[in-house]
Amino acid sequence: MVSGTVEDVGEARDAAATECVLRAADVAVHFGGVKAVDGVSIELTAGRIFGVLGPNGSGKSTLLAALTRLVPLTRGSLEFEGRRYDTVRPHTIAARGVARTFQTVRILPGRTVFDNVALGAESAGSAGKAERSRARQRVRTAIERTGLAGKERHRPDELSYGYQRRVEIARAIASEPTLLLLDEPTAGMNRQERDDITGLLGDLRGEGLTQLLIEHDVQMMVEACDHLFAMNFGELIAGGEPEAVVRHPAVQEAYLGTQGRAHA
Amino acid sequence: MIDWYFSHIVLIQSTLTTLLLALSVQVPLRAGVFSFAGVGCYGIGGYIAAIGMVHYGLSTATAILLAAVAGGVVAYALGLLIQRLTGLYLAMATVAFTLIISVLVVNGGDLTGGAAGLFGALGMLDTGHLLAVAAVVVAALTFTELGPLGRRVEAVREDPELASAMGINVARYRRATFAVSGVLGGLAGSMTVLLRSTVTPDDINFHLVVLALTIIIVGGSRSWIGALVGTVIFVWMPEMLAFVGEWEDVVYGVLVAAAAVYLPGGVTGAVVDGYRTYRRKRRETADSPPDAPPPQPAAAAVGGDS
Repeated sequence: MVSGTVEDVGEARDAAATECVLRAADVAVHFGGVKAVDGVSIELTAGRIFGVLGPNGSGKSTLLAALTRLVPLTRGSLEFEGRRYDTVRPHTIAARGVARTFQTVRILPGRTVFDNVALGAESAGSAGKAERSRARQRVRTAIERTGLAGKERHRPDELSYGYQRRVEIARAIASEPTLLLLDEPTAGMNRQERDDITGLLGDLRGEGLTQLLIEHDVQMMVEACDHLFAMNFGELIAGGEPEAVVRHPAVQEAYLGTQGRAHA
Repeated sequence: MIDWYFSHIVLIQSTLTTLLLALSVQVPLRAGVFSFAGVGCYGIGGYIAAIGMVHYGLSTATAILLAAVAGGVVAYALGLLIQRLTGLYLAMATVAFTLIISVLVVNGGDLTGGAAGLFGALGMLDTGHLLAVAAVVVAALTFTELGPLGRRVEAVREDPELASAMGINVARYRRATFAVSGVLGGLAGSMTVLLRSTVTPDDINFHLVVLALTIIIVGGSRSWIGALVGTVIFVWMPEMLAFVGEWEDVVYGVLVAAAAVYLPGGVTGAVVDGYRTYRRKRRETADSPPDAPPPQPAAAAVGGDS
């Protein structure tokens, strides 16, 4: 679906060539008079990493909330693996294979790292001994892959912010999702930690996991993503190859004009 | 020992029935549902059991079973009706439900005995029966506190949105806690009435709401053990405070206020926290130096979206 140019953003595309995991058409979320998201159309094809770039308040997180049904749509439609889901409740779409992390760390404060990650692995339904043992295996794998080995019994308040973020990512991948939505996964991490997470996301892509990232870090987005969307004032202003998107005049003006020159 | 048992049998039995009442409020609270519907169902259960025995000659077991089922059904229906409410508004609606039950039984005519209530509903119940029911309830609740189900219930309480994003049907869990609290309230009410043989509208009052809540605040709201600790304290305290005579209510009030201020997780919460701190310190001394990089709150603050 990606043509590499940025001018065709928002146009209807024929996705027959590649498998479309998620399709959002003309999605709008208005809060009273505030148009947090307004007429956004995106398609996510299988096994690639997509990114949404945009300044504060541009509607990125609201878009993510809309895609996971945590906020109701004012307009538009959502499709996951060919099935409409813009009227289902959020737990249903999560159970179908859409996992997410949150912009602010949201983990159970009274529970250990293992328990928090297990929440992701078990929620799909874990009746039966065999399924429980498979769920435990998924938890262990997710913990190892996110670099949390050795911290299984720690509680969130014993971990640094970067490690708390890893718990969120581990919990999301422990559910073995089809689509992973990450809201600023590397916020609060140092360079090394960020590279670790970028590497992990790359590995997951190699295994066919489709991902949608929201980030402020332009350099990381260019390195990690196969396709970028840029948003401002609730609308898509560009989309396409990452390098082309960050050079797009509208993006430069909206976002990079203030923060991005140092990165780009 | 046997002498002690017989001289305290009323307190022992009251401990077991009050435990069920306290659990009827604690179970929804553990899932983040601030509901006193269980107290209303305590009244429903008490009256159904008494009506069943006095007017229809039901057996003790049938009367209790009927009371539990009725409590569960009524609370579930109430849950459907008010499921969109949360927090204090939900609490107020369920307190109103409890008060409505007490008004209904006053105006129930011959069926409920009006303001005088019903007499002669003496069930064939002894401490062993109460203990068995309490044991089954506690075993079932323990299952909901441990393992995957315990984690999911905690997620529903701590962060419903997160729970939804984890594929948990939050509304279903909340409705289920209404039904469970209704069953527990029905059991507590019916067994209390069948032990005493009488029920009057005064038995279903706002003081029961206060009692259940203080038991949980002082004992702890996270586990049935907290409800048990709180129940033992409040059922036995009047006996223990007998020596202070007329100052009993004052001492009672001071103890409750002190617990609310100094033990935010209740007695049980304080013990659990103390044990965790002890284990953490032991682990830290065992595996120093620290292996985690320092936190970076400044970087974390960068970039908040809509």
